[in-house]
Amino acid sequence: MEAILSRHFADPDPADLRAYRDAGGYVGLARAVQMDPADIIAELEKSGLRGCGGAGFPTGLKWRLRGVDAPEPRYLVCNLDETEPGSIKDRALLFGAPHHILEGMFIAAHALGVRYAVVFVRGEYAAGARVLEKALHQAREAGLMRLPDGDLRLDIHVSLGRYICGEDSAILNAIEGKRANPRKKPPHISQQGLWQQPTTVNNAESIAHLPGIFAHGADWFRSLGVNGGVGSKLYSVCGPARRPGVFELPMGTTAQEILFEHAGGLQPGRTLRAVLPGGSSTPFLMPEHFDTPMHFDAVAKVGSRLGTGGFILMDDRQCPVDFLVATTRFFARESCGFCTPCREGLPYVRWLLERIEAGEGSAEDIATLHQLGGQIAPNSFCALAPGALMPVLSGLHAFADDFEAHVRLGHCPYRGPQS
Amino acid sequence: MSSPTSIVDLNDASLLARLQDLVVASPVPEAAISEVLQVLQKARGYIDEDALRLAASLTGLSPVKVEELCTFYSLVLREPVGTHVLRICDSIACHMAGAQDILTQARQHSGVDLGEVSRSGKLTVIPHVCIGLCDRAPALMVDDQALGPVDTQTLTRLLAQLEADIWKPS
Repeated sequence: MEAILSRHFADPDPADLRAYRDAGGYVGLARAVQMDPADIIAELEKSGLRGCGGAGFPTGLKWRLRGVDAPEPRYLVCNLDETEPGSIKDRALLFGAPHHILEGMFIAAHALGVRYAVVFVRGEYAAGARVLEKALHQAREAGLMRLPDGDLRLDIHVSLGRYICGEDSAILNAIEGKRANPRKKPPHISQQGLWQQPTTVNNAESIAHLPGIFAHGADWFRSLGVNGGVGSKLYSVCGPARRPGVFELPMGTTAQEILFEHAGGLQPGRTLRAVLPGGSSTPFLMPEHFDTPMHFDAVAKVGSRLGTGGFILMDDRQCPVDFLVATTRFFARESCGFCTPCREGLPYVRWLLERIEAGEGSAEDIATLHQLGGQIAPNSFCALAPGALMPVLSGLHAFADDFEAHVRLGHCPYRGPQS
Repeated sequence: MSSPTSIVDLNDASLLARLQDLVVASPVPEAAISEVLQVLQKARGYIDEDALRLAASLTGLSPVKVEELCTFYSLVLREPVGTHVLRICDSIACHMAGAQDILTQARQHSGVDLGEVSRSGKLTVIPHVCIGLCDRAPALMVDDQALGPVDTQTLTRLLAQLEADIWKPS
């Protein structure tokens, strides 16, 4: 398909405004500023765009629910806090499509009646924030931030770290200069968000789709998808693939095609056992489901989640228990510590997995893992712990024989007995 | 104890002016705390007690509140570090690609424990969460530059360049 989000990824200077405009950039903004906010939101709903941060909530509906008459001031935040292991698409956008992000933010600001917007960039992407800053300077100089209702102020907030900042209320606390603990909902952030004012938070990829939708229309966007999907999607592949990377493809492309055509299949001598299809907080997708179109609904039907569209490959040389030790270590470390089930529960899960991997686990430990899965997720405050447990619980089921072998042999069957 | 990179005096007029500009430009003073801490850390290498108190007085936050933020946010350093901070990703993609070996090699080179200043003063090695370079695993960051994939040879070369003060960000 035609490159849309990835059009400038390989340019020598993706922040170059002239090159972006020569390729049709800022046409969507020019059209959108001629439209009433309510019509923009209707067009966005018609496009079928769904949140690309992982949850898949319809973007147009999110905007409509905030209300065109929400009290002022209203705020807009672009969530570029991508920290989830296996998710690398927003980094590609930041370095390779800064004007897509900015044009999308300007369109959103006009539609939502926003005069102050923030692009929240994780601290580890500070070098990318400098690319965005360069693009922002050019856009400002060109007068592109003069919207019909007044000048837009857009700040780039470079974060001080922590995965939890990507949660849509925690991100607001981080911007306000507080600890990034998630907030209690209700009130929803669309009513009381940044400084208690109506706030819209959208993922960077969702925002980057807006220029295309408003340049070419909702029908054009819908037609980009295949197999029931809508629009284009930045999928990514990591792990033992021949060609790991980020691929812009029609939303709804099958896992089989993404993994074996675009990422080139596995490195020589390896066999694929399973994937996490959307970052490390999604359940395993097994080979019998690789013909699934990778869009939100189809992936949910086979018991996993599209998430961020970031595939993590696990081959036949990789111990599934060791794999889960690594995914759980991340979440246990990144728990914000606010609620007890997550703060105490995830390190417990990690410890049990480490014991089993070291050959010191028992059948009771496996049972305890199952039990914790049922106790931690429903009792935790936000989606971090439930996400952390998705690969663990699906892995306990899919790789039950591997777990049992660790207990029976008293060592990891992939490593052999340790001297 | 001062950091090997603790080079800028907190009374430096241009540093103070820059910090004050950040606070004035912020929608509310306390929201400037992230940038204030970043600027101070860049100037001093880490946030020592004096820097913490200055950040608090500039933003109107109490020192305890700033400490609360420093202990929460993982990129804020409250201990002295070497001239360069090497953050080695140990999340799943890098883990599968041998991050543990990279971490061990870097730690052994530094001659001290993780998080401590190497004997040469040039280096601090810290394990870190996913840095978004999963397609180039195993990956690491030198200060704010992400690099990958790294193997034992490229790491040996990188460490030598850092020790000789000839490493340049790309």
